[in-house]
Amino acid sequence: MRRSDLRCSTPAKGHDMLRRALRTTICAAAFAIAPLVTQARAQNSPAAAGTVDTLGAIKARGYLVCGISGDKPGFSFPDSKGVMQGLDVDLCRSVAAAIFGDPAKARFTSLTSLTRFPALQSGEVDLVARYTTWTLTREASLGLEVAAVYFYDGQGFLVKKSIGAKSALDLNGASVCVEPGSTGEVNLVDYFRANKLELKPVVIEKLEQIRDALMSDRCDAYTNDSAQLGSFKATLGSAGDNYVVLPEIISKEPLGIFVRKGDQRFFDIVRWTHVALLTAEEFGITQSNIETFRKSANPQIQRFMGETNNLGAALGLDTQWAVNAVKAVGNFAEIWNRNIVPLGIPRGINRLVKDGGAQYAPPMR
Amino acid sequence: MAASVEHIVNPTLIEARERPELIGGGFFAWTRENLFYSRLSSLTTLVLLAAMAKAGLSLFQWAFLDAVWSVPAGPQGPITDSCRALGTGACWAVIREKYRFILFGTYPFEQQWRPAIVVALFVGLFVVSAMKRFWRLELAAVWVIALLLIGLLMWGGVFGLTFVSQPNWGGLALTLIIATIGVAIAFPLSVFVALGRRSDLPFIKWLCVAYVEIIRGVPLITLLFMASVMFPLLMPEGVNLDKLVRAQIAIILFFAAYLAEVVRGGLQALPKGQYEAAYVLGLSYWQTSRRIVLPQALRTVIPPLVNNFIGFFKDTSLVLIIGLYDLLHSAQVAVAEPAWQGFGVETYIFAGLIYFVFCFAMSRYSQWLEFGLNMHRHR
Amino acid sequence: MNQEELKVVEPAIAETNSPTQAIAVSIQKVNKWYGNLHVLRDVDLDVAAGERVVVCGPSGSGKSTLIRCINNLEEHQQGTIVVDGIQVDHNIAHLDAVRREVGMVFQSFNLFPHLTVLENCTLAPMLVRGVARADAEAQARAYLERVRIPDQANKFPGQLSGGQQQRVAIARALCMKPKIMLFDEPTSALDPEMVKEVLDTMVSLARDGMTMICVTHEMGFAREVADRVVFMDHGQIVESGSPQAVFGQPKTDRLKLFLGQVLRQH
Repeated sequence: MRRSDLRCSTPAKGHDMLRRALRTTICAAAFAIAPLVTQARAQNSPAAAGTVDTLGAIKARGYLVCGISGDKPGFSFPDSKGVMQGLDVDLCRSVAAAIFGDPAKARFTSLTSLTRFPALQSGEVDLVARYTTWTLTREASLGLEVAAVYFYDGQGFLVKKSIGAKSALDLNGASVCVEPGSTGEVNLVDYFRANKLELKPVVIEKLEQIRDALMSDRCDAYTNDSAQLGSFKATLGSAGDNYVVLPEIISKEPLGIFVRKGDQRFFDIVRWTHVALLTAEEFGITQSNIETFRKSANPQIQRFMGETNNLGAALGLDTQWAVNAVKAVGNFAEIWNRNIVPLGIPRGINRLVKDGGAQYAPPMR
Repeated sequence: MAASVEHIVNPTLIEARERPELIGGGFFAWTRENLFYSRLSSLTTLVLLAAMAKAGLSLFQWAFLDAVWSVPAGPQGPITDSCRALGTGACWAVIREKYRFILFGTYPFEQQWRPAIVVALFVGLFVVSAMKRFWRLELAAVWVIALLLIGLLMWGGVFGLTFVSQPNWGGLALTLIIATIGVAIAFPLSVFVALGRRSDLPFIKWLCVAYVEIIRGVPLITLLFMASVMFPLLMPEGVNLDKLVRAQIAIILFFAAYLAEVVRGGLQALPKGQYEAAYVLGLSYWQTSRRIVLPQALRTVIPPLVNNFIGFFKDTSLVLIIGLYDLLHSAQVAVAEPAWQGFGVETYIFAGLIYFVFCFAMSRYSQWLEFGLNMHRHR
Repeated sequence: MNQEELKVVEPAIAETNSPTQAIAVSIQKVNKWYGNLHVLRDVDLDVAAGERVVVCGPSGSGKSTLIRCINNLEEHQQGTIVVDGIQVDHNIAHLDAVRREVGMVFQSFNLFPHLTVLENCTLAPMLVRGVARADAEAQARAYLERVRIPDQANKFPGQLSGGQQQRVAIARALCMKPKIMLFDEPTSALDPEMVKEVLDTMVSLARDGMTMICVTHEMGFAREVADRVVFMDHGQIVESGSPQAVFGQPKTDRLKLFLGQVLRQH
């Protein structure tokens, strides 16, 4: 009985047709109405009319509320002391530091993939940084927009070192483990066909079984989103050293920080805080050495440090906003190294443009 | 007359039936009769025994002999490689590292003595409530005071306790809060709904029937989803009811609908004559309900009530779908940290044992209660 | 208040066997149906204050239904019932007043099993009449004495024999100081050896001048105390009159048949 509470489709135990019909109808209605309400809210909300002052609300409240996943290794998860850690979490803390000068003024609400957008729309959270891919429909129809893309993820390959592959193009004739029914399976077939490679897909549902398949040489490689591959590798422990994640990414999963549409000021703060972290990395400004840049002769660094041109005022923040953000969590590379490197995920296209990646910081002036 | 005649004949029969167990030495006789009564049965028994012994042995080896009880600390945190070496058993080091997180979730580490006291308070409250000699009106006052104290400890903000906001509550403390407050409010509510369902007033009756049927026709997960997602969207801008409160309301509504049906069963079991006797004595509806009907009806349904409580206690784990760190979710998330990934089995076992202790206690209590109450009823 | 009530209880109450002229219960042209089943047909019955009426008849004759209509345990559909000047209708105030005037004893006792004998007797006076606990208990003990089970006060009903339980039920009804007592086959559920103790209690109650309407097949009891015997069959009152007349010279075949059956049983 209790089990059946989990699913809408399970027939009621009493085999009472009426009750079953009622249950099905209500279930269907609940799940059908949710997106409708969501959309109606998106169109009618005062936020859409541009009247909401998120920054004012945050300042009045005294803290920033971020929607996170709370159980994604490397992105947001509690450590042994119950303190949230991860890339998503640090980005949120950097925004809190830019606003308040104090990263502790960030509070976190764990959201599921179902609740993340309604929570943002209803104002329960100020921003969502929850391993969420930036897509057209999410931005165009939900009344939300992406203020910053902080992680260009995508589908990759984990391979045995012993097969000697240095690139996905070396995988000709390899047997590849893939989870069934995912877009990952489609991407895999497309990629191999496009590159005229021979593919032996091994479709396995359970992660534990994929692990066994790799260990027992049934698969030479395993494909999934690269962050997933990284954590998978981490769970192999010392045996993980026998595997390597290849540099190719065969699908696009840009992860963004979502805010409500219509409040340009808050949008700007989130976007430019992210830019500030990238800029700091560009100039080699770190959490520990930042104060030594006060006397820098570089006018760009002067502006960054708030010594000249009060950029903070344009955002409605104080002059030290960028400094505070970096002091709180470090520059983007530091954040990456702290959170993503333990997963074994290479920086790849998430490097700065000057290092050959896609992270590009527009000028702060 | 017939009874006394039989009484004279019967003793020999009774003795004869008891003989095998008495003479054959109980256990051995039973074993021979049930497990080794033929060659095939002996074979089956031996094969099964061997399989069980092997399974038990490997479990024992995994859980104790090959288990890793602690791991060395490194500069970047604990080094769990010893747990990951081939052929090692359970990595109990993960529990040593994470037990406080599993028990108290993201509650500030230095303040975790507060939820620890809360858990102790809850256990004390359960024990006191379970004892029949405390079944008095004062018990309700004890509950109110205890719940206020629990709220005070969890939130803080006064008497020098730092304020801890609700999203930081978690673990066993949160599970107990959700389950206990859920039952404490749902139970009285369910009594009113059950009475309402038998009401002569069509509107009230219809309302209660609709409530029970609609809530019971919907999975708890849907209710939680609605409370978590739909409710805030329907609220005016800027009005945000706490996520926990919303989940708690959904859970109360769900519990109450199920309990109402249990209580209604008790009401139906009550003979019509009790209502008539109360009526002719001039008692009003509420006097009849409170003094005559409910004391008897509730007494008969205590065992099924407790069984429902067991189910509810486990059902609370569904709040993980709306991102609350209850006991089960904490156990899952405890192994999200890269160093500890892959040791979910150990944390699940830990959380499972905690659930088991509470549920088993309730189950035993329910059996004891059933026995005790039936004794009372038949003198 | 306490003393006043005890005064009513303790003295063996005025020895009056003669009915006064006031009408206690007036039943006129009462009809009742259960669906299509016509269970009461144009029933007329007046009971004077202090009168003892025994209603008998075969099962299904409507005799229980009739007395249950008097205190509205069953609703009649046509005709009027007036109890002590109060009309039994849909007016809740009227019904409450009638319930206070009329006590009832059931075939199956219907004691409250979760309350002690004493609590059974004190509950309604305290809740309905607002009597203080001490007074209610004193009064209850007096009535329990009256039904000759004073030493069982702190036991639970389940610990008593059937006859004792029925006497408690009588005491419980009396504690509400009703003007009229209804008995619905009070001895039918009892083992034969316990019937007498209950009947003795009822006889003594009758001697004290209580207005009583009893549905019973106990001929001896009817002969001893009844002012009038009413014989019902098929929802109608077929014959009524003094016990001697009804039992001695039955006029209708139906009554003769019934008497024959009842006598054969006993």
